[in-house]
Amino acid sequence: MSRVAAKPSSPLRAWWLKWRFHINILLLLVPLGFMPKYFADAALFRGDAGIGERVAGDIQVGPWSLTLAEFRNEGPRPDPAGPMKAFNAALCATCAEQVKATYLRIGKPRSLRAAGVIFFGTPYRMGAIVPVPERTPIDAELWVTMEGWDGTMHQGSIPLSQASPATIAWLNKQGVKP
Amino acid sequence: MIFKRLTAGCVLLLSTGFSQLALAHNPMCECKEIPGEQIQCKGGFSDGSGAPGVTLDVIGYDETILVPGKLGEDSTLTFKKPTAEFYVLFDAGPGHVVEIDQADIQAQ
Amino acid sequence: MSKKSRSKLWFLVHSWLALPIWFFVLIVCVTGTLAVVSQEIVWLANPDIRASKPSDDAQPLSFDQVIAAIKRDEPQVIVRSIIRPDESHFALMVGLSYPDGRSVDAYANPYTGALQGISPAFDFQQFTRALHGWWLVPFTNGYSWGWYLVSLLGLPLLASLVTGLVVYKRFWKGFLRPTLRIRHGARIFWGDFHRLSGIWSIWFIAVISITGTWFLIQAILGDNQISISSEPIVPVIAREKVPLSAPGVPAPMIALDDAIKIATQRIPGLEATFAFLPLNAYSHLQIGGRGWYPLMFQTAQLNPYSGEIAVSHLLSDRTALEFVTESMRPLHTGDFGGLWIKLIWAFFGLVLSMMVLSGLLIWTKRTALATLNAFKREAKTQRQPVPTPALRAETSETH
Repeated sequence: MSRVAAKPSSPLRAWWLKWRFHINILLLLVPLGFMPKYFADAALFRGDAGIGERVAGDIQVGPWSLTLAEFRNEGPRPDPAGPMKAFNAALCATCAEQVKATYLRIGKPRSLRAAGVIFFGTPYRMGAIVPVPERTPIDAELWVTMEGWDGTMHQGSIPLSQASPATIAWLNKQGVKP
Repeated sequence: MIFKRLTAGCVLLLSTGFSQLALAHNPMCECKEIPGEQIQCKGGFSDGSGAPGVTLDVIGYDETILVPGKLGEDSTLTFKKPTAEFYVLFDAGPGHVVEIDQADIQAQ
Repeated sequence: MSKKSRSKLWFLVHSWLALPIWFFVLIVCVTGTLAVVSQEIVWLANPDIRASKPSDDAQPLSFDQVIAAIKRDEPQVIVRSIIRPDESHFALMVGLSYPDGRSVDAYANPYTGALQGISPAFDFQQFTRALHGWWLVPFTNGYSWGWYLVSLLGLPLLASLVTGLVVYKRFWKGFLRPTLRIRHGARIFWGDFHRLSGIWSIWFIAVISITGTWFLIQAILGDNQISISSEPIVPVIAREKVPLSAPGVPAPMIALDDAIKIATQRIPGLEATFAFLPLNAYSHLQIGGRGWYPLMFQTAQLNPYSGEIAVSHLLSDRTALEFVTESMRPLHTGDFGGLWIKLIWAFFGLVLSMMVLSGLLIWTKRTALATLNAFKREAKTQRQPVPTPALRAETSETH
């Protein structure tokens, strides 16, 4: 014998019984809504639109130079190792063979050993993920260190405000005294 | 077709069309002052792995190595606080370092 | 509780495990089925990805020979990786870096080394994987919430399997006496179809739901930085192990084929079906392939200047737990035994999708129909007219 629920016991239950299947529509809207971002990200990873979302400029590093870009035009992302900011770079066309390794650091490095994070990739497109402590001063400089095959070291810098305005905005929002 | 293997550089993600999975091995290190004028440092990587055997040097501001060291099996190292100004360097290789200035080492 | 009402309860639970979100579950199943054979679909649509033999006795080139052929065609390009797919009808997948900053995957003929084409901007394989695996929700901080959403479905799927077998009395008889009544109306047909496909899919549903739930556990572990990996982490080569050389002259690296020979000689059982070239001067060369256990890969990381093996991660290095956890993903995707395994997975994926669909059809025909009948009886026995809410049809919860 079928037992039919006579009247919904509360307005909330009535609402739930009426609309629950529409959760499906909501769930289907999710991938549709994210599709533009998916394709934009795919193009970003492939490098179809350049080496990054925002090119910061060229930095002279001794006899060599590189073009620096923000991977994404945003502030640092949270990470278990602290807030991290991703930069991409392309070495100058003539210096690809001459540069052994390239490093990136906020603040002038004390030594080659502590030159910061190392770039991974190829001279045409390489990336590095720099930790950005919350107490970084907003007038900080981003230092690029390049190591030659004979062990020589050259350095150059760019103000962080020029390298990543989004990071400066993020730092201002953090409000931590350096 | 195999799943793309991700190397320890994590930055491979930036060049392939793959999602940014949390498989990065970003180095991490924390130091704190413990009773007895000692400092205890613990190192590791952002995916939760430890860093046993990784070099941890205590370096003076003049770049002399005051206390050369290696993290133990438990990824920690305890040493006596130097009198000179210093910073701690967790060194898992070029580009995989963490610097901790003495000013950032708080008492527990 | 009486036996009858206990049975009703199991049935209720079984019916309600998927219903409110059944369309979502259906799309997840369909996209999963597509993803299993997505590479094959690309092979059918895009001739660039095929490994056409130039002649009957053509031999596959070694990795160095392939790289040399690519550099002949495009001297400026840098090869970052070479992957030889499990099935020999696929071309080699090479990761290339172009001077204009593009970093793309390209297809190279395994017999001639010729570049047949670059993977299209719309990568169908990646797309179906992203749609099925994490509902296209981007990763911003750890695993995406879409990943959690989809992997959570593993639990109701497993519960569906268990409750389904409980309510299907003596289900094993269905193996010996398969019933599929086509001439008794849709409701009977779909019921029979659901039960018949269900018992034959028991193994598959168990595999998919358990491995799907593993993805949930994987995300929880990852987002809480809990690592169960026994693989030692050597992110870069120590500075003193990388040679210095004259200015402007990169230190010479050993040839890739030589590196493969060193690795396979020193590590018995190591196959080399993929190679990731060093990503900077301090980076290792990674070589890997499958071993005796088809579901997992073995890798070795070498110093590209000296050939020294810095790290190896073989089957013998894995813990028992890692054997279990690392088998989860290939068991879910069917991507471990070549084309035939993929086809089996795709077939049962289709069956599972049809089960979700048939489950809903049974529900609408059985429950809704019963509800309608109940209303008719109620209306007949009523003396006074009773206002009947228009949305009553969806409220019935029992059969």
